Amino acid sequence: MNGNVVERKKQSIFSLKNVTIVILLLHFSIFMIYPIIMAFVGSFHHWNPLSNVFEFTGIENYIQILNSKLFWTSMSNTLIFSLVVIFFRVSIGLVIALALYSKLSRFKTTFRTIFYMPTITPLVAVSFVWVWLYNPQFGLINEVFNLDINWLRDSRTALPAVMVMTTWKDFGYATIIYLGGLMSLPKDAFEAAEIDGANSWTAFKYLTWPLLTPITMLVAVTSLITYLQSFIQILVMTEGGPGTSTYTISYLIYEDAFINYNFGSASAMSVVLFVCISGLTLISFKLTQKKAGV
Amino acid sequence: MKQVKVILFNLILLAFSILTVVPFVWMLVSSFKPNSEIVKIGGSFLPDTFTIQNYINVQERFDFLRMFGNSLFVAVVVTGTVIYTSAIVGFALAKYTFKGREFIFGMILGTMMIPWAVTIIPRYDMIVNFGWLDSYIALILPSIFSGFGIFLLRQNIMTIPDDVIEAARMDGATEWYIFHRVILPMSRNAISSIAIFQFLWVWEDFLWPYLIINTQSKQLIAVGLKLFSGQYGTDYGGLFAATAISIIPVIIVYVTFQKRFIAGISGAAVKG
Amino acid sequence: MFKKLWISMLVLLSVLVACSGGGASNNLTKDETPDKGMEVFGEAVMFNPNKLVNDGEPITIELWTWGAEDVFQKQIDAYKEIYPNVDIKTVVNPWDEMWTKLPLALQGDDGPALFNIHNSQHDNLINFLAPYDIPLADLQADFSGVDAHIIDGDIHYFDIGIMTGSIFYNKVLWEEAGLTEEDIPHTWEEFALVAKQLTKKDDTGSIIQAGYNFNGDYQAMVLGLPYQQEDLLFSENGQNINYDSEARLAFTEYLHELYYEHEVGSPNFGDDSSQSFGNGQSAMVYKWGWFQGELNNNYPDIEWGVFQTPFITEEIPFAIDRYNGESTFGINKNAPSAEQEVAQDFVRFVLAGDDFSVDYALLNSTFPTKYAVANHAEILSNPVLSVLSENIDRYMWPGPFPAIIETVSGQVFQEIFYNRKDIESVLSQAQEDIENGMSQSKFISAEKNYLHYND
Repeated sequence: MNGNVVERKKQSIFSLKNVTIVILLLHFSIFMIYPIIMAFVGSFHHWNPLSNVFEFTGIENYIQILNSKLFWTSMSNTLIFSLVVIFFRVSIGLVIALALYSKLSRFKTTFRTIFYMPTITPLVAVSFVWVWLYNPQFGLINEVFNLDINWLRDSRTALPAVMVMTTWKDFGYATIIYLGGLMSLPKDAFEAAEIDGANSWTAFKYLTWPLLTPITMLVAVTSLITYLQSFIQILVMTEGGPGTSTYTISYLIYEDAFINYNFGSASAMSVVLFVCISGLTLISFKLTQKKAGV
Repeated sequence: MKQVKVILFNLILLAFSILTVVPFVWMLVSSFKPNSEIVKIGGSFLPDTFTIQNYINVQERFDFLRMFGNSLFVAVVVTGTVIYTSAIVGFALAKYTFKGREFIFGMILGTMMIPWAVTIIPRYDMIVNFGWLDSYIALILPSIFSGFGIFLLRQNIMTIPDDVIEAARMDGATEWYIFHRVILPMSRNAISSIAIFQFLWVWEDFLWPYLIINTQSKQLIAVGLKLFSGQYGTDYGGLFAATAISIIPVIIVYVTFQKRFIAGISGAAVKG
Repeated sequence: MFKKLWISMLVLLSVLVACSGGGASNNLTKDETPDKGMEVFGEAVMFNPNKLVNDGEPITIELWTWGAEDVFQKQIDAYKEIYPNVDIKTVVNPWDEMWTKLPLALQGDDGPALFNIHNSQHDNLINFLAPYDIPLADLQADFSGVDAHIIDGDIHYFDIGIMTGSIFYNKVLWEEAGLTEEDIPHTWEEFALVAKQLTKKDDTGSIIQAGYNFNGDYQAMVLGLPYQQEDLLFSENGQNINYDSEARLAFTEYLHELYYEHEVGSPNFGDDSSQSFGNGQSAMVYKWGWFQGELNNNYPDIEWGVFQTPFITEEIPFAIDRYNGESTFGINKNAPSAEQEVAQDFVRFVLAGDDFSVDYALLNSTFPTKYAVANHAEILSNPVLSVLSENIDRYMWPGPFPAIIETVSGQVFQEIFYNRKDIESVLSQAQEDIENGMSQSKFISAEKNYLHYND
C-alpha cells in the first residue's frame, strides 16, 4: 500500500482530507445517488411531468418494455453496434499506436495529431459532415467509389454506416491510450527479447500484447460504457430509421422521455440499460483476469 | 534496405492519415463554396466560385461567435474546476489512509458506469425545482467532479514517492501547501491528459445543454450546430463553416497539452 | 505553461464576449402617457390603445415560435411603438426542438409568457394554457376558426388560418419538358404522365432529375388524400383509428407505382423533397402552404408555380384533402401575472387588427379565418391561395389528432420504400402501433363536422 503517510499531529476537522471527502460525498449524494434512487423509484410509476402524473403502477413499465418489439430491436442494435465498433476501435487503435511507437516511423507528432483530429471534433458536427459524405446524390463516398447506395436509408447499410463513422471518429482515442501504455512498458524486457532473437510478431504476441492487457481493458471498458449509450449519431444521422432499423436503446429512451414524456417507462429502460452495462463490465473484467491469470 | 523499409512504412502511415483527414479537408474546402455548388450532382473538388459568405452567414444569422464564447466560458470553467477537484480528491485517496477509502474509490469508478439516461430525468427535475433552468450553474455544478479525472489523478499521484511529502512536512508545510506546491506541479502530465479529455467532453456535450439552455444567446456551440441545420433546411455551407470554427479551440488545447498528454496516460497505466 | 494557457483563453473569451455585443439590453423607458391619442380599432374584438400597460413600468416578455418571426416582429414593433415600456423578445426554435423544449420550459418558472402553438401538440400544452380574456362571442363574431377550440366555454387558442396541400412545380423544368399551362394534370392518371415527362435519366438509367418527389411528404399525403375515396381516418364514433383501409392501401400502391413502375423518382433521389425541389433537382412536389415561405426564404432563385392536388376523376371528390389549422398564440398560465397581462393585451392587439391575419396568410399560404380579410385582394392573388379558394369547402379537418399518427406514417414510408416491406403488412402494423400509442388519448375526431359529411 502506498498510502501510509504518517498522519499529522494536530488533526483539524477542516483538514484537506476531511473537507475534500465531505464535499465529494455531498456532491455525489445530490447529483448521483439521489437521481439514481429517483430513477429507480420512478420506473415503478406512471410519470408524466406535463400532466403532473406520478402514480404507482408496480412493474407495469417493465412488463410493457419487455413486451415491446422496438425495445428488443434497440437492444440488439445497441449490442451489435457496440461490439463491432469496440473491435475496430481497439484493433485500429492498437495497430496505429504500434506503428507510431515503432522506430521506423517519422514525424510522430504530426501523425499523432492527425489521427487524433476526429476525436477532438464535436460529435454533432462530425455526424452532420458524414450525413453529407453519405448523401446518395452529391456525397463523396458514392462519388469516389462510383456507387449508388443510399447509405443511411437502406436498412442493410444504415447501421454499418453509422459504425464506420463512429470508428473513424474514435480510434484516435485508443491510439493515444495505447501509446501511453506502450511508453510505460519496461524497456529491458524488450531488449532482452531482441537479444534472444525473437522476431517482432513473437515479441508482440508473447510480450507486448500480454503487457498491454490492462490498457486493452481500459479502452474496451470505457468504450463499452460509451457505446452502449450512443445516441447523438443516431439522432443526427438516421433518427432511428429507416423504419426502426437503427434505433439504439439510448435513442429510444431519449424519445420516450423527451418527446413522448413517458418518464416512467424511460426510467425503467434506463435501469435495464444500467444493469446491462454493469453486467457486461463485470464479465469483461472476469474474462481478462482469467486470461491474464491474475 | 533499411531506408526503403522506413519510406514504405511511412507511406502507409501517410495513406492512412490521408484517409483520416479527407472528411476535414473536403469540409473545409466546401465551406468556401456556395450552397448550390455543394449540392450539385457531380460537382468538383475545388470551389468554382470562392466565397466567404457562409462564414458571414453563420455569424449574422446565428451570432455564432457568441455561442462560441459561451462554450469557451463553460468549457474553461468546468475543465479548470475538474482539474482541481480531480487532483485534490486523487491526492486524498492516494496519500491518506482512512476508513472507507477503498469504498469511496470503488464508488467513483462505479459512477463511470451509470448511463446518462438514468440520471438525466431526475437531474432535470431537480434543476427545474432549483430554478436553475436556462442558467450556466446548471451546466457547471453537476459536472465539477469527474470519475475519470479522479481515477487518472489518483493513479498518477500514487507514483509520487511518500518521501517527497514527508520531507515537505518536516519543513513544516501544511497539507494545503503540500497539495498546491508539491503535488499539483508534480501532476502536470496527468493534468494535461485530463485537460484535453474534459475540455473536449464539455465542448461536444449536446443533450444536457440542449435541455437546460433556452435563450438562444446563451446557447452552446454543439447545440447551436444542431439547431443550425434544423432552422434553415440543411444549410451545408453554413454548417461546414460553423464546424470548421468549432474545432479550433479543441485543437489549440490539444496542441498545448499534447507533449505531456501521453505521459499522463502512461502514468495511469501503472498498476495500483 | 498552464498559467499562460488559461490567461490566453480568458483573454480570448473576454474579446469574444465584447465582440458579440454582450447581451441586448435595449433601454425601455417608463411610459407616463395613458392617452395615446389613438382610435379604438377592431370589429367585435376591439383594442383600446389609450391606457398604460403594466402601469407604464418597463417589462420584457418572451415569445417562442418555430418560424414566421418576421410577421410576429412586425406586430411587436407596432405594439412597442404604442407602449415604449414593453419589449417582446422572440425566441426561434426549429420545429423539432420547439416541441421538446417548450413543454419542458413551461414546467419551470421561467417559461415564455407567449408561444406559438401547433394543434398536434394540444395534449402536451393544454395544461399550461391560460384562457383568453376576450369574450367568446366577440371571437366567434370575428373568426370562423373558434368553435372547434372551445373548452368549458373558454378559448385558449384557435385557428388563425387553415393550411393544406397542393402541387408545386418548377416552371423552368416544366418548359424544358415542352409542357404548357394546358398540361396541368387534373387526375392522378394525368399526373403520372406529366411526372414521367419531367423525369430525366443519364446514360446508365439513373435519375438525374425527378419528375415527382415525395420523399418526406408521404406522411402528409397519406393522412389526407384517401378522403378523395370517402375514406375516413377515424371510425364513426370518432375514437378509433381507421388506418389500415382500402383507400390508403390503394393510394400507397399508386405512389409505389410512380417510383417503381413509372420511375418518376426514387426514395434514394433527393432525400428531402423540399431541398431537392429548391435545388432544381425535382420538378414537382406535394407540399403544404408553409412551403411558399421556405421557397422564398431559402431558394429565392427557383421559379415555381402551383396547381391543385389531382383527383381520382375529373369530378370533385367527397373531400380533396385534409387541412389543418394554424393556431394563434398560447399564453402561459404559470407566467408572472404582470407578464400574463401584457401577453393578453398583445394577443388582443394582434387579433383586433387585420394586418396579422393577412401577413400570416401570405407568408404560409394559409386561408385566414378572420371574416374581415377573407376577400382581401392580396389573399386572392396569392398563387397558392388562389388555387385553393375555388374548392375551399372541400377540405376536411379531422381535428388535432395526436402526433403519433404522423410519426408512425413517417415510419410507414420508410418501411415500404427503404426497407421494401410489403405494403399491406406495414399498414396493418401501423394500425396496431397507432392503436397502442393512442390507448391513453382522449381524442375524438372532428370529421363529423365536415360540411359535406352526409353527401
